[in-house]
Amino acid sequence: MAEGIQLKNISGNNLEQCLKCSICTAYCPVSAVEPKYPGPKHSGPDQERYRLKDSKFFDEALKMCLNCKRCEVACPSGVRIADIIQASRITYSTHRPIPRDIMLANTDFVGTMANMVAPIVNATLGLKPVKAVLHGVMGIDKHRTFPAYSSQKFETWYKRMAAKKQDSYSKHVSYFHGCYVNYNFPQLGKDLVKIMNAVGYGVHLLEKEKCCGVALIANGLSGQARRQGKVNIRSIRKAAEQNRIVLTTSSTCTFTMRDEYEHLLDIKTDDVRENITLATRFLYRLIEKGDIKLAFRKDFKMRTAYHSACHMEKMGWIIYSTELLKMIPGLELIMLDSQCCGIAGTYGFKKENYQRSQEIGSRLFKQIKELNPDCVSTDCETCKWQIEMSTGYEVKNPISILADALDVEETIKLNQ
Amino acid sequence: MNSKQNDNYDVIIIGGGITGAGTARDCALRGLKVLLVEKFDFTNGATGRNHGLLHSGARYAVTDPESATECIKENMVLRRIAKHCIEETDGLFITLPEDDINYQKTFVEACTRAGISANIISPEEALRLDPSVNPNLLGAVRVPDASIDPFHLTTANVLDARQHGADVLTYHEVVAILTSNGRVEGVRLRNNHTGEEIEKHAALVINAAGIWGHDIAKMADIKINMFPAKGTLLVFGHRVNKMVINRCRKPANADILVPDDAVCVIGTTSDRVSYDTVDNLKITSEEVDTLIREGEKLAPSLATTRILRAYAGVRPLVAADNDPTGRSISRGIVCLDHEKRDGLAGMITITGGKMMTYRLMAEQATDLACKKLGIDKACETATTPLPGTAGKDPDNPHHTYSTAHKAAKGRQGNRVKEIDERTEDDRALICECEEVSVGEAKYAIEELHVHDLLNLRRRTRVGMGTCQGELCACRAAGVMCENGVKVDKAMTDLTKFINERWKGMRPVAWGSTLDEAQLTTIIYQGLCGLGI
Amino acid sequence: MRYDTIIIGGGLSGLTAGITLAKAGQKVCIVSAGQSSLHFHSGSFDLLGYDADGEVVTHPLQAIADLKAEHPYSKIGISNIEHLASQAKTLLSEAGISVMGNYEQNHYRVTPLGTLKPAWLTTEGYAMIDGPERLPWKKVELLNIQGFMDFPTQFIAENLRMMGVECQIKTFTTDKLSTARQSPTEMRATNIAKVLANKDALSKVSERINAISGDPDALLLPAVLGFSNAESLDEMKQWIKKPVQYIATLPPSVSGVRTTILLKRLFAQAGGTLLVGDSATTGQFSGNHLVSITTDHLPDEKLYADHFILASGSFMSHGIRSNYAGVYEPVFKLDVDAAKKRDDWSVTNAFETQPYMEFGVHTDKDFHATKDGKNIENLYAIGSVLSGHNSIKHADGTGVSLLTALYVAKKITGKG
Repeated sequence: MAEGIQLKNISGNNLEQCLKCSICTAYCPVSAVEPKYPGPKHSGPDQERYRLKDSKFFDEALKMCLNCKRCEVACPSGVRIADIIQASRITYSTHRPIPRDIMLANTDFVGTMANMVAPIVNATLGLKPVKAVLHGVMGIDKHRTFPAYSSQKFETWYKRMAAKKQDSYSKHVSYFHGCYVNYNFPQLGKDLVKIMNAVGYGVHLLEKEKCCGVALIANGLSGQARRQGKVNIRSIRKAAEQNRIVLTTSSTCTFTMRDEYEHLLDIKTDDVRENITLATRFLYRLIEKGDIKLAFRKDFKMRTAYHSACHMEKMGWIIYSTELLKMIPGLELIMLDSQCCGIAGTYGFKKENYQRSQEIGSRLFKQIKELNPDCVSTDCETCKWQIEMSTGYEVKNPISILADALDVEETIKLNQ
Repeated sequence: MNSKQNDNYDVIIIGGGITGAGTARDCALRGLKVLLVEKFDFTNGATGRNHGLLHSGARYAVTDPESATECIKENMVLRRIAKHCIEETDGLFITLPEDDINYQKTFVEACTRAGISANIISPEEALRLDPSVNPNLLGAVRVPDASIDPFHLTTANVLDARQHGADVLTYHEVVAILTSNGRVEGVRLRNNHTGEEIEKHAALVINAAGIWGHDIAKMADIKINMFPAKGTLLVFGHRVNKMVINRCRKPANADILVPDDAVCVIGTTSDRVSYDTVDNLKITSEEVDTLIREGEKLAPSLATTRILRAYAGVRPLVAADNDPTGRSISRGIVCLDHEKRDGLAGMITITGGKMMTYRLMAEQATDLACKKLGIDKACETATTPLPGTAGKDPDNPHHTYSTAHKAAKGRQGNRVKEIDERTEDDRALICECEEVSVGEAKYAIEELHVHDLLNLRRRTRVGMGTCQGELCACRAAGVMCENGVKVDKAMTDLTKFINERWKGMRPVAWGSTLDEAQLTTIIYQGLCGLGI
Repeated sequence: MRYDTIIIGGGLSGLTAGITLAKAGQKVCIVSAGQSSLHFHSGSFDLLGYDADGEVVTHPLQAIADLKAEHPYSKIGISNIEHLASQAKTLLSEAGISVMGNYEQNHYRVTPLGTLKPAWLTTEGYAMIDGPERLPWKKVELLNIQGFMDFPTQFIAENLRMMGVECQIKTFTTDKLSTARQSPTEMRATNIAKVLANKDALSKVSERINAISGDPDALLLPAVLGFSNAESLDEMKQWIKKPVQYIATLPPSVSGVRTTILLKRLFAQAGGTLLVGDSATTGQFSGNHLVSITTDHLPDEKLYADHFILASGSFMSHGIRSNYAGVYEPVFKLDVDAAKKRDDWSVTNAFETQPYMEFGVHTDKDFHATKDGKNIENLYAIGSVLSGHNSIKHADGTGVSLLTALYVAKKITGKG
C-alpha cells in the first residue's frame, strides 16, 4: 500500500477532481432559465460533500437536472457531475413522483394503449379540449404537440412483413428498436432493416424488449427502471450467445443501457455492454474494415444540419453518424453549434417546464432557421419532436437519410 | 461592540484561544468585570490547529487515567452546553494485523475504570458502521468520541462572555505587564492595526496565552518552563469516514482520523520544536509522508483522496516546576498561582490541558481568581448552554430550508435566526463549497469581531472548502467593503488571504491541489492582476 | 479513422492550429477533453506584457528579442513573430472576434479589480487604455447589476480613483435580472449573458441604464453580454445614449465562451472534426514516429494521422499532471521539463515566481516533443503545455498559444 501513496486521485464519480472552475454552469441548459435550480456544480460536487456529512443536505431542487450530461462534456477535469446528481437523487430522495410523471415515464405502456387506438389518440391528443384537460389535470403542456402514434407498431410490421426472410441472410444482428420506433415512427426501423438487409445482414428482434427506462429514471421511478433494465439485459445476453450484436437507432436508449444501468441501477452489464451499439457506429466500423460497401443514388441531393444530441455527445459517438453521412456524395452536412434542444426526454412535456424548454432551445432553433437546410438530422427521437415542433423543419435520423440515399440494388451487388 | 470600554477591570484575560474565551465566560458569569485581549484573532493558535476531536478519553485510558476521566466528564458536559458545535459521530478503536489484539482487553478495562463506555464489536459490524475502515482490521471497540468545531466553540464562549458584560479586544497585543510593589496591576496593549498603545488596569491578570504564555510570563519576570510540541495535520477534500477512527494501541503519531464538517482530518505528528519557531512553523515532507502512510492504514481510501492542505499547531506543554530538564512533562491542566509560586500577586497562568478540557481549565482558573478577589459564586458553565445551543431551535419542522441555512445552522447553531435571509441578495452564496451566504458573512462582520477575510473564514468557513478561496475570496472581500471595511485594506487582505491559503496547500501541492493552485493563480494574478 | 493531422486539446492553441490546417485543405480532427482555460479569459490577448525583470513592456517585439532561449518565442524566432502575430489577428477576425490593438505597441486592459495590465489585442467594446497616466476619461459611472457579485465595483472604483478618474457606482436591475437573481449560486456572468441574449430583456436593460446614468465620459459595464456572438454588444451600443465600455468579470468569462464558440464554428465550417468531451488515452509509436492514438470514448478505434499536435494545456487543464512522485505528461509520457524534488516545484509566497508555472513538455527548436530523450518526428507541442514560459510573470499566455499554433501549422503544411 505504502508504495503507491497519492499516485492517483480518485473518488466516487471524480467528486474530488472538481476544481470549482464553474465552467459547467455556463453550459447547463437549465440554470440559465430556472433560477430555482442550484446549477450543476452546486447540485453535484459542492453539495455532495455536505450530503456525505448528513443526508439532510439533500436538496429537492436538484431534481431539475435534465441529466443531459452537457456539464460532464464541458468539465475539463472529468467530474461526472450529472452522475453525482442522479445518484444522490436515487439515494436520498423520499418524494414519490406524481401520476403525470408516472404516465410520461411509462412510454411503452402508454404507447401500447395508444397504439391500439392510434387514430383516435392522434385526433384527441390534438383536440383543444383534450389538451386543456391534459394541461389542467395532468400537467402536460397544451402547446406541446404529442408525437403521433402509428397505427401499426413496428413489431407488428416486422412480424408480418420482414421476419420471415431475415433467416435467409448469412450474418445476423439483433435490433433494440425502442419505444419511439415501435409506437411512433416505425419507418426508422424499416429503414434500418432495409440497409442491413442490403449489406447482407438479417435483423432480428430481441426475445423480450422493454422500454430502456430513461424516462423512469428521470421521473424518479428507479425501481421499475431496474426491473425493465434487467429484462433487456437478459435478452441482450441471449442475443450475445447467438453472436448477435444488438443495434439501436436511439442514442438515448443506447446511452442508458450502456452507461447508466450499471452505476445508477446496479444492473450488471459489463459482459454485454460492448454488444450494444448504435447502428451508425456498427455500419461505419464495417465499412472502415472493408467488410461492407455502400452504394448511393446518383440523383440524391440534400443539405442537412446535424444536431448533436446530448447523450450522443456524452458517448462521443457523433463522429460515427457524421462520418457515415459524409460518405453520401450528394449530401451537404452542416454542423450546428452543440447545445441542448430543451426537450430532455419527458422534461419539456410537463407544463411547468414548457416555457423553459423552449427558452433552452431558442438559440438552436434560431440557428436552424438562419441556415434553412432541407432537413435537420439527429440521432435522438425526443430532439426530433422538439425541433420539428419548434422550427417546422423535418428532422431525420441519419439511418433514415442513409436509407433514402442508398442505391439498394447496387449495394446488394457490392456485398454479395 | 466594545462601546462601554473602561480601563478598570476585575480581571484581564490574555489570549483569544478557547482557554481565554472559556475563562472570560466563566469570570463574566460569576459577575466579574472582564476584559479579554487577543493579539491577533480568536483561535489563531493551537485552538484553531488541532483535530477538532471531542475525545471520549479512551485514547488516554491506559496511559493517563486521570486525563481520561477528565475527558469523559467534559465530553458529556460539552454535549449539553455546546450541542451546536458537536457532531455525535462516536469513535472506533481498531486493531490492525500489525497491532497486538490482546491490547484490546487492557484498553476496554481501562476505559471502563475511567467511566468511558467501550463496546467491543466485530470487524464486520465496524465495517458496517463505517465502510471506510481498513477492511483488514482484527477487532474494533466503539467509544463515545465525537467531532467538535473549536472555531465556533470559541465564538460562542466569547459571545456569552460579552452578553454577561465582558469587553473584548482583538488585535491588541500585550507588550508589558504593569506591576507595582510586587503586584500586577494591568497590562499595556498595542493595537496591532494602528500601533497605538493603551493601558488597562485590573486586580488580576490571567495568562491564557497558550504557548505565547511563555512570553507573557517573561514580561512579568517569571519563568514558566514551556516545551513547544508541534503537531501537523492534513485536511482531506471530503468526508471519507463517518466516525472518528483511532488505532487500538498506545498513542502514537498520525493515528486519529476525525470527520469535521465536510472534510476529514488526519493527525498528528508530534515533535518538540524550539520556541523561536512557534510563530513560523514549517511543515516538512517527512511529516506529510508519515501522516499519509499512517492515515491510509486507518482508512485505505485516503491514499487516493485529494488533500486540501496541511497545518500545524503547537501544544503548550509545561514541565513540572521541580524538573528544569523538562523530562517530566505534564499533559494535564496546569494552573499556576504566581503569588504562591513566584511571589507575584495578581497573576494566574492557566495552560496545558486540551482543547476539549478548556471549560475545566477555565473553571480552575476562575475558582482561583474568585478566591483571590473574595467572590463566592459557584461555577455555572457546566450547566448553562452556550449561545447557539441555548434557546429554542428557530426552525419550523414543516418548512424546507436551504442548504446554506442548514450549513449556517451547523456553524452558528440557534443563532442562525439572527442571519438575515430575507432578500435574494442576502441569500446569495459567497462561498459555494462551504455554503456561506452573504447574510451569514454580514452577521459575522457585525457580531463576531471580523476585521479581515481571515477572521471571516474562522467564523464562517469562507474559503475552507475544496477550492480554498478560488472565487469566494474576491466575493467575500467585496462584501467586506460593502460593510464598512476600507477598500485598500480589503485589497491587502485579499492578497494576505490568498497567501495564507497557499501556505497550507503548498506542502501537499500535487495532483488536483496543484491544479487548483494554478487555477487560483491564473484567476487572481493573471486575470485580475492582483499582486502584479 | 484517418486524418492528416490530429490535435489533442480544443483550447485556443488547438483550435487555432486546427482552423489553419483545415483551411489549408487538411483533414483535421481535434480531441477535446472538456472546455478550456479560455473560460478565464480577460477579453484581451497578450503577447508579452512584462520582461524578465517584471517591468512593463511597451514594445513587445523588442522585449521578445531579449527572452531566454527556452522561451517558445525564441524558438519561433523573432523574424517570424511579426508575421504570425498579424496572422493571429486575421484569424480571430475571420471567426467573428473583433479585436483592437497591434503587436508594435502594447496598450492596457482594465482588470476585474480595476487595475491595469498590458495587453496586445482587446475585444472590441472593452475598456482599452493607452497608459496609467493617459486614461481616456475624467469621469465615469460604474454600473453593476444588482446582486452580481463577480464584479467587485468597490475595487474597480477605488483603483480608478487612484488614477485620477472620478468614479460613481450605480446598480440597476430589471424583472428578468431579478428573476435570475433568485438563484443563490448561478448569478454568474455567463448566465446573465444567456438571459440577456433575449432582445427584449436587453432592451429593458438599456432603458434602465439610460434612466439612471448621468453625464459621465463613459459608462463602464461588466462584460456580461454576447454568449455566442457579439450581436448584443452592438445592440447595446446603439441603444445606450452614452459611450459604453466593458470590463471583464470574474470567471466564467463571457468573452472566453464566445471566443470558444466562434472558433469552434469556424473550425466546423472549415470541415474539421471535433471530438468533444473525449480525451486521448494513449499513442501507438513506431520508432520515433507516432502512428495513431486511442481515445477514452473510442477505445476500440485507432485514430491515425500523419501529424499530431499536443495542445492539452498546463496543470489546470491536465495537459501536465503531477502526483506525489513527480510531474508527467499523461497521454504519451513525453519528456517534461520539471524539477525532480517536490520542494522545488513551488515557493512559499504565492505571489513570487512559482517554478511549476514553467513546467511543461520538453520540445526541440521546432516544437517536436521528445520521449525518452528522442525526438518524435511527427508530434508537436503548442500552447500552455510547453515548458519555458510563465504566463503570470510575463503575461504571454494567449500569445504563446496563438503563435506556436500558427508556427507549427505552417511547419506541417510545409510553408514554414
